[in-house]
Amino acid sequence: MKLFISEGNPHCLKVLAALEEAGVQCDVQFVNHEENLVPFLSRPSLPALLLPNGQHLFSPNAICRYMFEVSGQECSEACDQWLEWEATDLQPALLQALHMAVLQGKELEATKVLAGPLSYLDQSLTKANTPYLTGDVVSVADLVVCAALHPILSAPSLASGDHKSVRLWFDRVAASQSCVSASHKVLQGKGLQAMKSFMQRQPAPQSGQSRGGTH
Amino acid sequence: MALRELASLEKYLGLKKPNKYSSRGDKKIPVLQNNNGPPLVGLVTIARHLVKEAKQPELLGEAAEDRAVVHQWLEYRVSKLDGCNKEESRTILKDLDLYLQDKVCMAGNHFTLADVLMYNGIHPLIMDLTFQEKERYMNVTRWFDHIQHRAGIRHHLPPVVVLRNRIYSAKHP
Repeated sequence: MKLFISEGNPHCLKVLAALEEAGVQCDVQFVNHEENLVPFLSRPSLPALLLPNGQHLFSPNAICRYMFEVSGQECSEACDQWLEWEATDLQPALLQALHMAVLQGKELEATKVLAGPLSYLDQSLTKANTPYLTGDVVSVADLVVCAALHPILSAPSLASGDHKSVRLWFDRVAASQSCVSASHKVLQGKGLQAMKSFMQRQPAPQSGQSRGGTH
Repeated sequence: MALRELASLEKYLGLKKPNKYSSRGDKKIPVLQNNNGPPLVGLVTIARHLVKEAKQPELLGEAAEDRAVVHQWLEYRVSKLDGCNKEESRTILKDLDLYLQDKVCMAGNHFTLADVLMYNGIHPLIMDLTFQEKERYMNVTRWFDHIQHRAGIRHHLPPVVVLRNRIYSAKHP
């Protein structure tokens, strides 16, 4: 099993954190953003996991889920639901927010773009009243959502006093050894600026409203 | 559309009692009202739940690696395929065509939930293709035709005519 990641790529934060948390043995190799390691994809896509059976995983959430599963922790339905929300609701907004904050210096606009998903997360955490998204123990959903939001929520310029439950939960998960170590490796303490070269290679995001969602 | 898709999936799985659904937000995300707990939200989450309810776990993949590949395509369906524009749809078809070159089904040799959800998601894209384009994406078309002819899969969707013999040049343009 071999994991390919690149510096300053926010998706790689997720898989490194999951790898450390799950404690799975895996070769990790840093590569250039431009390296295309998944033979059937036309655009480079990192992280990429080469499975023991020769197949490739290119979806960060599927990689995280797999890491937890091989370590004996199955993903619950609640956990699956958070992973789906992260991929379909949070990611499009996040990509737009990172584009604005990292490349355009529009930090106020970036926080506005994320207001919807952050409110949803905040309400869910307040309602559940549990330390983690799916209960009393940290799950793959916590790591995925926390790592996705990590660059934004750790940037002092983007911090806001709203979303108190999100802040408490985020501080709890982000303080874990696996998140600290993953963020150190991927962002190297440079915060948002660490992602500049990665963001410059991404296609400009479409505005959140133009994507049609389910047909 | 997602609700009809879930109703068709219930029939395919042989679930006797139809579930109650609603949809949420502008994107019409399906919600399953669950008597035994909080509602389930999202097409992938609900589809996985139905498969477990029908006690057909093999549809989610046999080994851990297969399950990861199945999950990847389920996520691809809702995050990449749904709502893609024309240009993105061409990249998707091109990538899938290469991926399916040496595969019968989305996760290799065995039919899984990934085939069902990818079939439903790609249906509108295939409907838009000319015969000539269908030949260009020959592996996708072959896989699509195989899935649409599987008993109990097509349900609410119209069949797409696929020519089994090439009528255009064998060389890709």
